Amino acid sequence: MTTITYPLSRIEGHARVVIDIHDDEVFRADFQAMEMRGFSYYVQGIPAEQITVIVPRICGVCSTAHQVASVKALEDLFGITPPPLACEIREVLLLGQLIQNQATSLFIFTMPDRVNASSLFEIAETPEGKSRQFSLAQMSLKIRKIGTDLISLAGGQFIHPIKTVIGGVTSSIPREKADAMIKTIEELLPMAVDLVDNYWQMSTEMVDRIGTWGDDEPTYYLASTEADSFRLNSKRLRVMCDEGRECHTFAPQEYENYLNIEESDYSYAGTSSFQGHIMRANSLARINLTNSFGTPKADAYLKRFGEAYGKPAHAILFFDLCRGIELVYALEKAKQMLETDLQHGEAMVRYAPRDGIGFGLVEAPRGPLIHRYEVENGLIKKADFIIPTVHNMLAIRRALMVAAKRYVSPEGISNELSRAVGRVVRAFDPCIACATK
Amino acid sequence: METPKDLPKFAVLQLSGCSGCEVSLLNSNEWISNFNLVYMPLVVSTHKLPEDIEVLLVSGGVRTDEDLHNLHKGASRSKKLIAVGTCALSGGVAQIPEGHISRESYLDSSHRLRLPSMLPRAYPIDKFVHVDLYLPGCPPTPELFITALKEAENARIASIVCQECGRKKLTDMRPTSISGPRSGTPDPEICLINQGYLCLGTSTRGGCGALCTRPGHACVGCRGPANPYLNKDPEFVLDNLRRVFTRMTDIPIEEINAALASPWLSLFLGQFTDYTQDQSLPQQTKEKMI
Ligand code: SF4
Ligand code: SF4
Ligand code: SF4
Repeated sequence: MTTITYPLSRIEGHARVVIDIHDDEVFRADFQAMEMRGFSYYVQGIPAEQITVIVPRICGVCSTAHQVASVKALEDLFGITPPPLACEIREVLLLGQLIQNQATSLFIFTMPDRVNASSLFEIAETPEGKSRQFSLAQMSLKIRKIGTDLISLAGGQFIHPIKTVIGGVTSSIPREKADAMIKTIEELLPMAVDLVDNYWQMSTEMVDRIGTWGDDEPTYYLASTEADSFRLNSKRLRVMCDEGRECHTFAPQEYENYLNIEESDYSYAGTSSFQGHIMRANSLARINLTNSFGTPKADAYLKRFGEAYGKPAHAILFFDLCRGIELVYALEKAKQMLETDLQHGEAMVRYAPRDGIGFGLVEAPRGPLIHRYEVENGLIKKADFIIPTVHNMLAIRRALMVAAKRYVSPEGISNELSRAVGRVVRAFDPCIACATK
Repeated sequence: METPKDLPKFAVLQLSGCSGCEVSLLNSNEWISNFNLVYMPLVVSTHKLPEDIEVLLVSGGVRTDEDLHNLHKGASRSKKLIAVGTCALSGGVAQIPEGHISRESYLDSSHRLRLPSMLPRAYPIDKFVHVDLYLPGCPPTPELFITALKEAENARIASIVCQECGRKKLTDMRPTSISGPRSGTPDPEICLINQGYLCLGTSTRGGCGALCTRPGHACVGCRGPANPYLNKDPEFVLDNLRRVFTRMTDIPIEEINAALASPWLSLFLGQFTDYTQDQSLPQQTKEKMI
């Protein structure tokens, strides 16, 4: 038996892929998380009201989603409804996170694969190559920075936001700041569209070269955005079955009836399935479950995608294209929302804490994220984090198997396998810090 | 003209952390034109640390045997080593130390076949290697990163968060309990302590621009202790906070003491108080601190 280990880069956190080969045949492909954050242990016994500052530190890439899910779980537990203004500002915050994350995944993590470079910052040898590469890097970082700036505007702190608190948000968004942000988005939106078109083009060229969009067998899909309203500050989960029809919808409180979550012995991250069926979350799941975005450019892309690849579409490299569509949507939507009044009105309500069980749901960049807390005497007795990356674990393993089988034959192991492994994993944009308990 | 290949070689080694420090670094692109990034697995697909690194940034704490191995390797291949983020300085945010109620169950579940083993706790990096410069913060702001990389010698850092906060401390607004966060929208001009918040800005190192307190959230002390409390017995910083709260509020001393024992504090300032109790660790002096 031969075992090949592939260290991974250009993803969040420490992980690797291990492929076992028996007699020229692929026997097993594992995706392993190599560290454990330990937050579900760490938070036991702490005062419940302090958890909202602590849990963003699970992951600096998804901190915003964790923070909002945490606050919503405690609001559910304490029986509070935050004012509408606060919900709008939280949505802007989550859009900022989506922009930052999709820009990072598209341009920093996966674009280098399309041009066989080691990174966006790789220094090209020729002067033309250098100037093209430099301008791509500058543009990509500019688009990404809109996300960061939105997080700061709607969230206070720029990585581990603090404005979302139990009961609402600590402060609103003044008109002049909203206007400045709108101006930036207006200026840079055409550049973002160009980048996404470029990326789309590079992807089809790459696929022409390698001959596949990757694992394209149908699976279940999981998202918490609505079919005609792509709200990230979401309320219910939706499931598409493998025949391509929406077949279940459920509240976060009911997740245990639908999702089977298990530990694994080969990785610090567990797996989950929809009642035993492999499922996928993240961009492709949302796009498969979306009829319309309600913003013109994103809707045009949605149409183009459906016409080109069908709906639902299943091949894994479509995850990357879908991130591009969502990037454009989030920029358009953020602008629309900032044009409304986010300054006046009640931003926060008073509350009194109590004991009980609470659930908080948001649509994080990687899919639906649920926090479940049990509070006793004001302290966290038990905390569960239901993590989007974990929903994709079985799908990642299957896609790795498909890729490995393609590149392993009696003639040997193709050099393309190591690149394929990177492409497969990055298509799912996994987040390792989040995925461990 | 200077070609990129002549620029100083710069690498980022990520141990056990949340990647927030790296994300913060990416938020500033100033380093692109000043350094040649040779290693940073988050954004560059090279798995081998080069031999002749000019500046190595290390983020995250030492939590697995693999972290320890990589840290030694990185230190031996670099001229200058900067510890970035509170995790690297103190071990890590999610400590599950001796005495923690879930320590047993955590240790039971923290081993896997053929994967790196978790160490009994997360250690600060200077327990194992020499550190030239410390950059605390969770995460440090992009501006602080650039200061650490470019002008560490002449850095002028606000001594405490209050200096950058802009909220006014009043003498005639004395809360009687720490219930600020439950009481609706905070006043934007007035010190959060006056409004019944457990703000740690008076004892926390400045430099972040009072990011949290300006929009109305208490400072949780992520930049660690201000200069007077570095390497001091934990009681020093707690005493200072106790003095501030008794001077500015009518909150009963029992409630203040209970609050000072909270995990909110242990999240950051507490990490450093842990630090000072381990006699084998070097002094993190103010000269080396950004
Ligand atoms: S210091 Fe904070 S931001 Fe940096 S790695 Fe640790 S938890 Fe993340
Ligand atoms: S709110 Fe906090 S940081 Fe600001 S002045 Fe008051 S104590 Fe200092
Ligand atoms: S205000 Fe306090 S908690 Fe917030 S960034 Fe500054 S030091 Fe850290």
